[in-house]
Amino acid sequence: MSHNASIPHRLISQDVPQAPSLMRATLSSLWSPFNGFLEWFGELGIFAWQVMRAAVRRPFEGRELLRQLDEIGSKSLPLVALAGAAIGAVLSLESRSSLVRFGAKSMLPAALVFSIIHETGPIVTGLVVSGRVGAGIGAELGSMKVTEQIDAIEASGVNPYKYLAFTRIVACILMLPLLTLAADLFGIMFGWIADTLIDPISFTKFIHHGFGGTTFSDFLAPTFRTLVFGLIIGMIGCFQGMRTRGGTAGVGLSATSSVVLSSLFVILADVVLVKLILVFFP
Amino acid sequence: MSRAARLGAFIIATLAILAAGVFIIGSKQYLFSPTYRLKAQFATVVGLDAGAEVRIGGVHTGTVREIDLPTKPTDKITVLMDLQRSTHSIVKQDSVASIETEGLLGNEYVAISFGSEQAKNVKDGDTIGSEAPLVIADLMKKADGILVTSQEALNNVTVVTANLSSISTKINQGQGTIGALVNDKKVYTQLDETTAGLRDTVNHAQAGVTAFQENMEAMKQNFLVRGFFKKRGYESSSDLEKNEIAKLPDSAPLKSFAFDSKKLFDKADTAKPKNEKSLRAAGQFLADTEFGVAVVVVSAGMTGDEQKDLVLTQARAMVVRDYLVNNFSFDDSQLKTLGRGKGKSDTPDSGWGTVEIIVYPAEAEVPAQTSAANPK
Repeated sequence: MSHNASIPHRLISQDVPQAPSLMRATLSSLWSPFNGFLEWFGELGIFAWQVMRAAVRRPFEGRELLRQLDEIGSKSLPLVALAGAAIGAVLSLESRSSLVRFGAKSMLPAALVFSIIHETGPIVTGLVVSGRVGAGIGAELGSMKVTEQIDAIEASGVNPYKYLAFTRIVACILMLPLLTLAADLFGIMFGWIADTLIDPISFTKFIHHGFGGTTFSDFLAPTFRTLVFGLIIGMIGCFQGMRTRGGTAGVGLSATSSVVLSSLFVILADVVLVKLILVFFP
Repeated sequence: MSRAARLGAFIIATLAILAAGVFIIGSKQYLFSPTYRLKAQFATVVGLDAGAEVRIGGVHTGTVREIDLPTKPTDKITVLMDLQRSTHSIVKQDSVASIETEGLLGNEYVAISFGSEQAKNVKDGDTIGSEAPLVIADLMKKADGILVTSQEALNNVTVVTANLSSISTKINQGQGTIGALVNDKKVYTQLDETTAGLRDTVNHAQAGVTAFQENMEAMKQNFLVRGFFKKRGYESSSDLEKNEIAKLPDSAPLKSFAFDSKKLFDKADTAKPKNEKSLRAAGQFLADTEFGVAVVVVSAGMTGDEQKDLVLTQARAMVVRDYLVNNFSFDDSQLKTLGRGKGKSDTPDSGWGTVEIIVYPAEAEVPAQTSAANPK
């Protein structure tokens, strides 16, 4: 600024933007977020590759895996069960009013069971777990990164990709379908409770009607679709945590970004997976 | 609770949910109970899907496993069904599969009827008979046709009703003959007047006839025409058969008088009497004697027309009877006449015919009047 003020003539001559440089500036301003996006994906790919390479090497971190299974699976159960129950009750109440309008009240169990095991159970589990576990992994690994614990682990001869990342990712992949089953069960049960409080129906009859038209592809394919959700949540949580930069603020940032990104990718992956399942199990 | 135990409980619980789901759905598809396979062929399966229910007597006892399109256009669609082994005793070779719909718009399912007791058991993979499904769209088409026809019929009815309405309106408004008849008092009045007039006319006609009869009676007495009747000897032809009987009584006569017509009548072909006094003997006898019936029997000569002679004899008998009734006192209902016509007499004959007065005793039966005679 002071330099510009002292030599105004040169300033003017230099400040007049030349056409090629303006275009370059515009292009670079568009390019940099796109470039950042591509870089992020590239780094994710490299990270995934490193995790896979680390995974196939001995020793297997059994104890840590068990800890993570417990952390991600059993400890998520109350949250997932509660979310599933709430969604089941809400679905029951909501679809009752619309089904009554069409005179198809007797279809309620089938509609409820179908929507819970097909879509609501898996996606609610995916989102709830990505919130709880994604944030946890992001924050935990982020703080380990900024306090240089990861470097210390690496220095002690332990592969941090194996010890920290792989165990968490595998735990996510394994636990997600089980949590989904729990969400399904609680959803259907509380759907029945909400239904029977308005219009009494026995649980046996509810289940019998609800599963009347279901096939294995209706049940198993959506449930095991959540294996992919688990992969996404674990992978993005670990990746965001391990590339944390910039101290304590960076930890918060990576926790937030891991939740946001894993939720987003769970939903996006769901679109593709639903289509894929419909292709293979019409 | 240790971490491992907690994790184990969680995993076992969720896997139990998985197992429960698998078994609930599996039981719907009969994956875990022994089944046998049946086939049925249909021209159309109206949207039946693999996985649809198979019901026997309305009970869900199986699943449609596969639906195969035929390879040739002449073949039918084959539906493969898995049925519970327990239905084996019900489903026989003569069981019939049909595709039905839950409610009007519900899911399709296959219904299999009970077999008959004497029919053979089905084997795994057998094909049983099928019944063409009821296609709602076809029903709709039929119903549509019926509706169109009834619409036309109703249109016709409407037209007829309109016509009837128009006619009745016209009648009501007094248009046309019927309308006038129904509504116009004038017509009724006129009809009434006409009837009354007609009655008057008839009355007048009757009066006229009576007057005419009187005129005729008067004319007979008139000197201009009196000659005709006088010459004929009697006035009314309608009286000729008044007292005539068909035949003589069967019983024996009490007394009989015979006269030659030539001495009693003016001419050979008339009934104009002359010398009636010669009948006095007979008249006196009738007045003095208690008799049953007396008959004036007249026959003509052999000359003349037969019909004319019959009338002549009848007239002469009447004339003689009139003379006797008028001049001698006895019950005139006992004196009958009998005109015998041409030449039936064997009594003395001058060629003019004869007159006989035959008297029968009281017990004699009076024969019937001649059929043509007016009843009294």
